[in-house]
Amino acid sequence: MSFVHNSYKIETNNMKGTNLGEFEELVLLVVLILQEQAYVLNIKDEIYSQVKRSITMGALHPTLTRLEKKGYLDSELSGATKERGGRRKRIYQLTAAGKNALIEVREMRAGLWKQIPEFALKLVHV
Amino acid sequence: MFDQMNVSDKHFSMVLIRRLCRPELIEEIEGNLIEYRQSLNSKKTSFKSLRYLLEVFSYLRPSTLKIFSKNSNKGPMFILKPLQTFRTLFKHGTSSLINILGFTIGLMCIFFLYFYIGQELSYDSFHRDRDKIYRVLRVSTINGTKYDIGVTSGPYAGALLQDFENTIQSACRAMPDDGLVSFEDKRFMEDEILFADENFFQFFDFKLVSGDPESVLGSPNSLVISETLAEKYFGGDNPLGKTIHIRQNEEYPFIISGVFRDSEEIRSHLAFELVGNIEFYDSRRWFHNWWSNGLITYVKIDSRIEAAGIEQQFPSFMDKYFGDDFKRSGNRINLKLEPMGETYFNNQTRYDFAKHGDYNSIRILGLVGIAILFIACFNYVNLAMAFSFKRAKEVGVRKVLGVTRSRLITQFVGESFLVLIVSFVVAGIMSELLRPAFNSFFQLDVTFKWMDIRVGYFIAGLMVALLLFSSLYPAALMSSFRPLSVLNGRKITFGKNMVLRKGLVIMQFTISIFMIAATLLIASQLDFVRNKDLGFRKNAILIVSNNNSDIRQNVENFKAELLTSPHVLDVSSMSGEPGGFHDATTIQIPGVEKLIRMRTAFSDYNYLRTLGITLTVGSNFEKELLSEENAAIIINESGLNELGLTREEIIGREVTMPGWEINGKIVGISEDFHFSSLRDRIEPLIMVHTSDYHRQYAIALHSENLLEGMNHVEETWTRFSPTFPIQYKFLDDALYQLYENEVKQNKVFSAFSGVSIFLACLGILGLVSYSAKQRQKELGIRKILGASVAQIISLVSKEYLVLISAAAVLAIPACWYFIDGWLESFAYRIEINAYWYLFLYGGIVSAMVALLTIALRTYKSAIISPTESIKYE
Repeated sequence: MSFVHNSYKIETNNMKGTNLGEFEELVLLVVLILQEQAYVLNIKDEIYSQVKRSITMGALHPTLTRLEKKGYLDSELSGATKERGGRRKRIYQLTAAGKNALIEVREMRAGLWKQIPEFALKLVHV
Repeated sequence: MFDQMNVSDKHFSMVLIRRLCRPELIEEIEGNLIEYRQSLNSKKTSFKSLRYLLEVFSYLRPSTLKIFSKNSNKGPMFILKPLQTFRTLFKHGTSSLINILGFTIGLMCIFFLYFYIGQELSYDSFHRDRDKIYRVLRVSTINGTKYDIGVTSGPYAGALLQDFENTIQSACRAMPDDGLVSFEDKRFMEDEILFADENFFQFFDFKLVSGDPESVLGSPNSLVISETLAEKYFGGDNPLGKTIHIRQNEEYPFIISGVFRDSEEIRSHLAFELVGNIEFYDSRRWFHNWWSNGLITYVKIDSRIEAAGIEQQFPSFMDKYFGDDFKRSGNRINLKLEPMGETYFNNQTRYDFAKHGDYNSIRILGLVGIAILFIACFNYVNLAMAFSFKRAKEVGVRKVLGVTRSRLITQFVGESFLVLIVSFVVAGIMSELLRPAFNSFFQLDVTFKWMDIRVGYFIAGLMVALLLFSSLYPAALMSSFRPLSVLNGRKITFGKNMVLRKGLVIMQFTISIFMIAATLLIASQLDFVRNKDLGFRKNAILIVSNNNSDIRQNVENFKAELLTSPHVLDVSSMSGEPGGFHDATTIQIPGVEKLIRMRTAFSDYNYLRTLGITLTVGSNFEKELLSEENAAIIINESGLNELGLTREEIIGREVTMPGWEINGKIVGISEDFHFSSLRDRIEPLIMVHTSDYHRQYAIALHSENLLEGMNHVEETWTRFSPTFPIQYKFLDDALYQLYENEVKQNKVFSAFSGVSIFLACLGILGLVSYSAKQRQKELGIRKILGASVAQIISLVSKEYLVLISAAAVLAIPACWYFIDGWLESFAYRIEINAYWYLFLYGGIVSAMVALLTIALRTYKSAIISPTESIKYE
C-alpha cells in the first residue's frame, strides 16, 4: 500500500515544472520585500497594498506550498505571539534557487524589452 | 456586537479547521485566522464576520484538507473516483443506457404527477384565513338518506352573524349568475358572474391588481373584473371607471371599480370572472326569502372547537327561523359547516356551484406514480446484480490493493448517483418539452414550477430515496465478494440472489398486468355507460338553454317555428334535461301517510314524446289540458314503488307539492329512465306539466340531417333572440360529460400501463442480454448437439414465462379487488365476473410483449455459429 502512494508522490513532484508564473513571481517579490516578516497574513496585506489585489489566505496557501516544492522558498515555524493565540507562524524565505529564478525572469524580460523597436510602443494617434 | 468577537478555541471555525485540515498545518492556519480576526477588530470595515468566514472557507481546499493528503488512504481515490465512475458507465454502455432510460421515463411520470397533484391539493390554499373559513351547507334527507346541499338563501348570513355574534367574525355571501355582458360593440355571454357581499375581497384573499379591497365593491353598481376579461373587453385600455352593461331580463349598467388577478396560480373552488355587489338583488323578493336557496354563504370562525360548538346549536337556530315550515312540511333541514379546505374535494354535495376535484383520482395517480418508480428501481437493482459477475474481478483486485469495503460501497453508490443525476436532468428537460402533449392528452392544465423551494426538497428527497432503494443492496452485495474466491477463477454462485432477482421481475410484471387489466376493465365500464339503454332517446337531441327573456316571452311561438322544419322531429321545454338539474321536493298525497321526497321535472306536454320515454299506465300530458290550478302529473315506477300504491290506485290521485304551491293530479306512470348519472340508483321522479320553470329546450332532430336541423334551430333562435347568442349541446355528449373523471382515469391508466410494460420489458431486455452472453457457450454446445434456433429461444423464454405467470397469479386478484371497489361508485355497472377474460388479457399482453423482447434478443445469440461461441476458453 505504501508502495503505491510513494510512487504517486515521486511522480507528482517531478511533474511540477520549474518556470515561474506571474502570481508566483509576485509572491516571491513580496516575500523578498517583507524579509523576516514574510508570513501569510503579511503577504496578503502587502499584495493588497502594493498591487491592489485582494487574495484570501487560503488562496495563497497552495501557491506558497508549490513554490516550496519547486525549491524557491524555504519556511520555518516561529514567533508565537499573543494576538495569534499562542500559535507559531510560518515565515517564508527565498532560497538561492528562488533568487536565481527571479533574476532569470528579470533578465529574460529585459532582453525581450530591448529587442522591441522603439516606434512599436508609441501610441498611434490617428 | 458579534463584529467585535475574539476567536476562541471552541469557535466553530477552529473546530472545522482542526477536523478537516492536515495536522501539520493546523497550528499555522489557526494562528493566521486568529490574528486576522484580531486585525479586523481594529479596522473600520463592515461585514467583519463575513470577511472572516470567507477566509475560513477559502482555507478549505485540496492543498490543506486532510482527505486530499498523500498520507491519507483516501486521497488518490477521492480525486480519481468521478473519472472511474464515468469510465464504468461508458464501459457498461447498454446497461447504463437502460438504467438511464428507465429512470428518465419513471421520473418524467413522477414529475408530471407531482406537479399535477400539487396543483390539485393547492386549491384555496392562498387565502390567509383558509383554516377559519367555512361554507354553510344545508343537510336534508331524501327517503332516509342524508345529503348536503351547497346553496343557502339570502337571510342566513345576517341571521348567523346576529345569533352567533361572539363566535362568527364575519360572513360573506356569493351568488353565481350569468348574463350578457356588453361594452360598446363587444358582447359576450358570461356565465361566471358572481354577486357578492361588499367585504368579498377582504373576506377572501383574491388579489386585486387595482382597487382597494375594502371599498372596491362599495357601491351597488360597482363591478370588479378579471385581468383576462379586462383584456377581452378593453384591450390595453384602463378599464377603471368604464361603464359596462349586464343584461338579464333588463339591462343594468355597472362601473368597473377594480381588476383582480386570475392567473393559473390562483386556484379556487369559486369560479368567477366578474364580481358585482350583491345589493344588485336587493329589490328582488326571493333575495329576502328564507326558502329561495341559490347562493353560497361563508362564515369566518376562529377555531375548529368554536365551529363545532356552533354546529351543535344549529338545530335550535333552524327551529327559530323555520319552526312553522318544518311542522307544515314534516321535513327538517339542518345546517353544517364545511371547512373551506375540504370544499374542493367534497364532490358529494348537491346543488353545488363549487368547482370540484376528485380525491380518489388523485390517490390512484399517486399510487400509479409510485408503482412506476418501483419498476424503474427494480430494473436498476436487477441489472446491477446481473452485472455484478462481471465486476467481481474488479472488486477482487481493488480489495487486494487494500480498498476497504465502505469505499467500495461509496464507489457503487456513486455510480448510481451519476445515473440518477443524468436521469433527473434529462427527465426534467424532457418533461418540460413534453408538457403541452401531456396536457392535451389528459385534458389538464399543469404547469411546472421548478423554482419552488418545496420542489427542491421533493427532488432531493426523491433522489435520496431512489439512491438508497436502488443502489444500497447491489453495492453491499458486490462489496462483499471475497478476493480469494473471485480472483482464482471459480464461478460465483448466487443462490439467494436469483430468488430476489426473480422476485423483482415478478413484481414488475405484477404491476404491469394490474395496470393493463385495470385499463381494459375501466374501458369496459365506460363502454357500458356509453351504450346502456337509458330509457330515453339520447341521440340527435339538441339541448338549448332558455336563457333570456326574449325567448321566454315567446316560448310557444319559438317551438312552433322550430317544428316547421322537416329536420326537427319534436320540441319540448323542461326544467332540466336528463343528466341535468332535477330539484328535490316533498310531495303529499291525501291518503298516503308518509311524506315522500321526489326529484322533479317541470315540462310542457311534449316531454315524454320528445325524449322517447315510455308510458306504462295512464295517459300522457296533453297540450290542451295545461292547467295551473290542477296540473297533470306523471311519476316514474320508482316513485310508484316508494308510495306503495298499485298502478290502479295511483291514477287520478291528488298531489300537493308544498314547496312549489302546486296541486295536481296523477295521470300516468312512466317507465324508469336514468335522469341522473349511472352512479346513482334511479330515484322517484315526479314530472309536472307546467308552463313555468322551463330552463332548457330539448329538440329532437332528424339524425340523418343533423346539420340542416341545427341550422334551422340557430336561424330560428336568432330571429327570436337577436341579442343573446345561442347556447347548445348535444344530449349524448352532455351525458358522457358526467363521466369526465372516469374517462380521464382511463386515459391515465392506459398511458401508464404502456409505460409500465415498456419499463418492465426494458428490464427483461437487460437481463436476457446478460444471460445470453453468460450462456453463450452452453447454447453453442446445444447447437452442436442438434438444438434448433427455435428450441434455444424457447429454452431461454421458458424461464421468464414462469415468472410472468407467477406475476399474473398475484396481479389478477389484486386488480379484481381494486376494480370491484372502483365499480362500486356506479349503481349500474358491468358484472365483473362476466369480464374475467380481460384479466387474462392483461397477463397475455404482458407475456407476449416480454416474449417478443426475449426472442429478439436471444435470436442474436442463437444464430451465432457454435464454432464462434465455444472457441475461447
